[in-house]
Amino acid sequence: MRGDLKFSASPYYLTLYLKMKKILLLISILLFTHLVNAQNPSRIVIKGSIKDTAGTALSAATVMLLQPKDSSLVNFARANESGTFEFKNVRNANYILKVSYVGYLPYQQVLSPSASEINDLGNLKIKPIAKELIEVVVKTARAPLTIRGDTIEYNASSFKVPPGSSVEDLLRRLPGIEVDASGNIKAQGKDVKKVLVDGKTFFGDDPKAATKNLGAETISKIQVFNDKSEQAKLTGVDDGKKEKAINLELKEEFKKGAFGKVTVAAGTESRGVLRGNYNRFNKKEQFSILGYTNNINETGVNWNDYGEFKGNNSFNNNDNGDFGFANGGSRYNFDGGDLLNNFDGKGFTNNFGTGLNYNYTFQKTKFSSSYFYNQTRLSLDQFEEKKTFLQNSFFSNTDTTGKTDFRRNHSVAMRVEQMLDSSNTLIAKANLRVSHSDVGTNQSQRYFTDENTLNTTSKIDNSSKLNSLGFSGSLIFRHKFKKKGRNFALSTGLNTNTSDGTENLNSLSRFLNATNVNEQVKALGQLNQNENKATLIKSSLFFLEPISKKMYWESFYNFSTDHREVGREAFNALRNNSRFDSLSTFYKNTINYNRVGTSLRYSFKGVNVTVGLAALRFDLEGKLYGGKDYPVAQSLTKSYDAVTPNISSDIALKNNTYLSLNYTLNVQAPDISYLQPVVNNNNPFYIITGNPDLLPEKSNNLSLYFNKFDPATFSYINLWTEYNSYSSQIVYNQTVDENFVTRTRPENLSGGKNFNVGTYIGFPIVKTKFTLNLNGNASIGNSPTFINGVKNETDNKSYQLGLGFNINPSEKLLMNVSGRLGFNNINYSIEERQNQQIRNHGIDASVKWNFAKKLFLETNLDYKTYRNDRFGFDQNIPIYNCSVRKLFGKENKVEVRLAAFDIFNKRQNIVQMASQNYVTTQRALTLARYFMLSFTYNMKGHADKLKKNGGW
Amino acid sequence: MKKIVVLLMVMSSFSAFSQTNEGVVKYTRTTYWTKLISQLSYVTKQEKDKMSYMFGGRDDWKEYMLLYFNENGSRYTHSEEKSDESEGYDWGKQEFNINRNFEKNTMTDLVDFLGKGYLIEDSLQIPKWKILNDLKDVAGHICMKAMVEDTVKKQKIIAWFAQDIPLNAGPERLYGLPGMILELDINDGAVIIEATKIELKKLGNEMDLPKKLKGKKLTEKGYQEMLYKFVKEKTKEENANWIWMVRY
Repeated sequence: MRGDLKFSASPYYLTLYLKMKKILLLISILLFTHLVNAQNPSRIVIKGSIKDTAGTALSAATVMLLQPKDSSLVNFARANESGTFEFKNVRNANYILKVSYVGYLPYQQVLSPSASEINDLGNLKIKPIAKELIEVVVKTARAPLTIRGDTIEYNASSFKVPPGSSVEDLLRRLPGIEVDASGNIKAQGKDVKKVLVDGKTFFGDDPKAATKNLGAETISKIQVFNDKSEQAKLTGVDDGKKEKAINLELKEEFKKGAFGKVTVAAGTESRGVLRGNYNRFNKKEQFSILGYTNNINETGVNWNDYGEFKGNNSFNNNDNGDFGFANGGSRYNFDGGDLLNNFDGKGFTNNFGTGLNYNYTFQKTKFSSSYFYNQTRLSLDQFEEKKTFLQNSFFSNTDTTGKTDFRRNHSVAMRVEQMLDSSNTLIAKANLRVSHSDVGTNQSQRYFTDENTLNTTSKIDNSSKLNSLGFSGSLIFRHKFKKKGRNFALSTGLNTNTSDGTENLNSLSRFLNATNVNEQVKALGQLNQNENKATLIKSSLFFLEPISKKMYWESFYNFSTDHREVGREAFNALRNNSRFDSLSTFYKNTINYNRVGTSLRYSFKGVNVTVGLAALRFDLEGKLYGGKDYPVAQSLTKSYDAVTPNISSDIALKNNTYLSLNYTLNVQAPDISYLQPVVNNNNPFYIITGNPDLLPEKSNNLSLYFNKFDPATFSYINLWTEYNSYSSQIVYNQTVDENFVTRTRPENLSGGKNFNVGTYIGFPIVKTKFTLNLNGNASIGNSPTFINGVKNETDNKSYQLGLGFNINPSEKLLMNVSGRLGFNNINYSIEERQNQQIRNHGIDASVKWNFAKKLFLETNLDYKTYRNDRFGFDQNIPIYNCSVRKLFGKENKVEVRLAAFDIFNKRQNIVQMASQNYVTTQRALTLARYFMLSFTYNMKGHADKLKKNGGW
Repeated sequence: MKKIVVLLMVMSSFSAFSQTNEGVVKYTRTTYWTKLISQLSYVTKQEKDKMSYMFGGRDDWKEYMLLYFNENGSRYTHSEEKSDESEGYDWGKQEFNINRNFEKNTMTDLVDFLGKGYLIEDSLQIPKWKILNDLKDVAGHICMKAMVEDTVKKQKIIAWFAQDIPLNAGPERLYGLPGMILELDINDGAVIIEATKIELKKLGNEMDLPKKLKGKKLTEKGYQEMLYKFVKEKTKEENANWIWMVRY
């Protein structure tokens, strides 16, 4: 090498070198050899011949020259037919010569620089690997062999033994090892005198102590090697006697683990939180417990905690077994159950929940089970102002509600997924939920005419209790055919729900304009006893056939039968609890649903286009009784048929661009409760009656979605648009009497439509430090309803525009500013003077600052304005939160946080909404200013850096 | 110097084996994305544990690749085969067409990087392989273990090369071992590329270079520098997305 460097350092030779590599090489070799001939030659030939122990030449053996310091490959050659090999013109240096040949132990020899130009190594004899090792370990168990000198080591976990087997049982399976009846071990015919565990003797010298007592699952590797005899070790003189020894390597600990955290917090206004979860897992099992209690409106846990609790069972919600293209509604259902926080922003809640989850995954079996209990006690005070438009007039009302609501649920869930063999899989699921609720409402309603004179007042005092028991079970079987891509699936499911409850309805209404004395005051005292039963049985078939590499044919069949029993006994509390015949009811309904469909799909090079057609039929049968054991009073049978086309295309274009275009005709049967002519009079001013003549809802839906992402700059653009038009829509037509009592019933109407268009754009202005995102959304909707027999068309146009900046000057400071404008214009065709404009604007700014080591400041201001000029509503709500937290300990296991919520004490929940023929504003009190000190212990430590993006 | 070594290797390995050695190897390339993310230095222990807790065991994603080979070179690219899980859907593939000519000692690689096509043309530069002492069966061939490090993408790559297929070809952009590479294991199993079938057959035009070589021209050094810059920048930003944007 020294010589080489000399030449290449000279510019003259360098040019020459580049021009005439081969000639130069020859010259340099000649020159170099000549120059240093007095010492060792610089370039030599290494040759030799590969033979096995019996002296047979091993042709085609691979011979490698490696650098001794790191086994880097320098050169390689192959032995010819007579087993000889030759490396010509190699640098004369230290090497490891390595020979590899199928079925033989790799041979290694250290080579020192040679004194002569030809280093002939002569015959290299290489040893075969025991045939059974190759056959059983390498070929059958597919375990790698590691060779260390004369030790051959392999992975014991590749050998299957029944659970609970001892190491002895495992050893019996291993090639070259014999275990006799009393547990004595022989390896390659020789007695094993010693069994080590992780290189150490295990409970004395008896080799059987380890093999009989250790479980086979605990072992990762088994090494069989020749140990020097005790005598030799003692004297230090190798007597040449070698003893067989076995070393058992225990499995690494990293597959096992535990994590968890606990938070305790106390605040002003008697606020408190206690929350914790703990998870243990190993390769096969996951076990989690979780619990929380608080009065800060967290009715459940967040997404992170949900995932940690459910473990590898978090994403099993999609196996509902409904096959075929979507027919209205989403095909993907995610149900977080009772576990997730679903607080809607209104009122004050006290919450408690606890549960445990166990998952087992081993080879072809996945099993999960969980139990969860939760309860929430809500107390709500809400004030609502509402204006309802009639033809050329309107009325308004105010509603002050006080509500207490206590709910508790127990749920047990189980799921098994079993791979029966390589082509068949079975999934079974069962969920049981027992729940109880106890609700009390106190309402005071006042109705005003369009001249703002008080017309009617009403006081309502309702209470209800409900107990229900629900079960759902399903079974999905999937089969893969031998022909690749041909699939078959079958599912069946049963859902049942039974509930019984009581309702106490009390109201006192005063009609100030009534002329008749009897009509001036109306009192209602009603006791309802409700008993409901629902049973749904469903089944689906799916078949996928690849016609060619690009074409696929999908077929499906869905069946369901939905059986409901609704019973209500109503009693008049004002007249000795005599039965209200008109309000008591008992009915049985059955909806049978059949759908058969087929579609053809083209899938190639990112283009997926499906065109399909389905025929469906609903058969409805309803029977109405005067009471539970009464004869049939009315019966109804109905059938609806429809043919629904479906087109969907998903196209992945070049350069991270995606396009999707979909068309569907959605047909949905009316909710069965709409079909029964039963009266719901819980609110005496809004009485709902069912409609037996209702037809299914039908709508045409067209959507387009475009998405492009530039990974070089992290810029993206999304565009979407959607159009939906109803040929038959279920709407609530209304008749309003002179006392402003609204009677409504669901009816079919055509003409409703809505159109939506939106965009979402983001790009960096200064790479990684300053990014901008922009979103816009416009929607236009038209919804018709009949009000007192006159068709009203409500046009709803809404526009939203948002602009935001992320500013990250350093890793320690993250800032966000965003603003949004929202306009909603509502026009009523029956009363154009009452057209409304609702404006909801907001600005949000947040700062996260890691201002000193392990110290963080987080603060955000959320300023919202709500306006409706015609309503005279104008409310500004600034919410300002601020917190400081510090991490303690070497691993940051402890976090102490001091937080101030809603420092301006302004929080309330406001909803402005307009629809059909009304506009409403609701305000509800909720948790406002409080200060809280919290302490969190995290077993695995908190992150001591700010995270830009929440996840990964 | 390197070029000379290549030449010598090619000469020495093929001189003795001139029987028909051509055909195609099918590889399954599986990405275990929880392991992939766990490699990132800025992912906390808690996040790693949580990921494997939630997704472990169902975090694999399969692709199918083909390696056409003969004695003079190889071509590695996507197979049109679809996985069972895809139900036949096809979501497009990024260009990855790796051509090696051992005779002329050249590489002609067509790759997509961040949405742009690149043509990498250069002479072959053999990876710095280390040979290890393990044997394993891959697709019916007993293979020996070798290792190489990718300093740009910070990967430790284990290769298993067949003792009995005397060709220097291999999957992805790797080659240069004394036998055909039948398995690659990138960063402790984050990505595993495993041969499932080796078919010896007379090839037609499968090894031909595409007629149009579209893409910005780069040398191997230029390509590695571009990758290095990107990975460094994204690592600094703590943006895990880079591992999805470059072929790992």
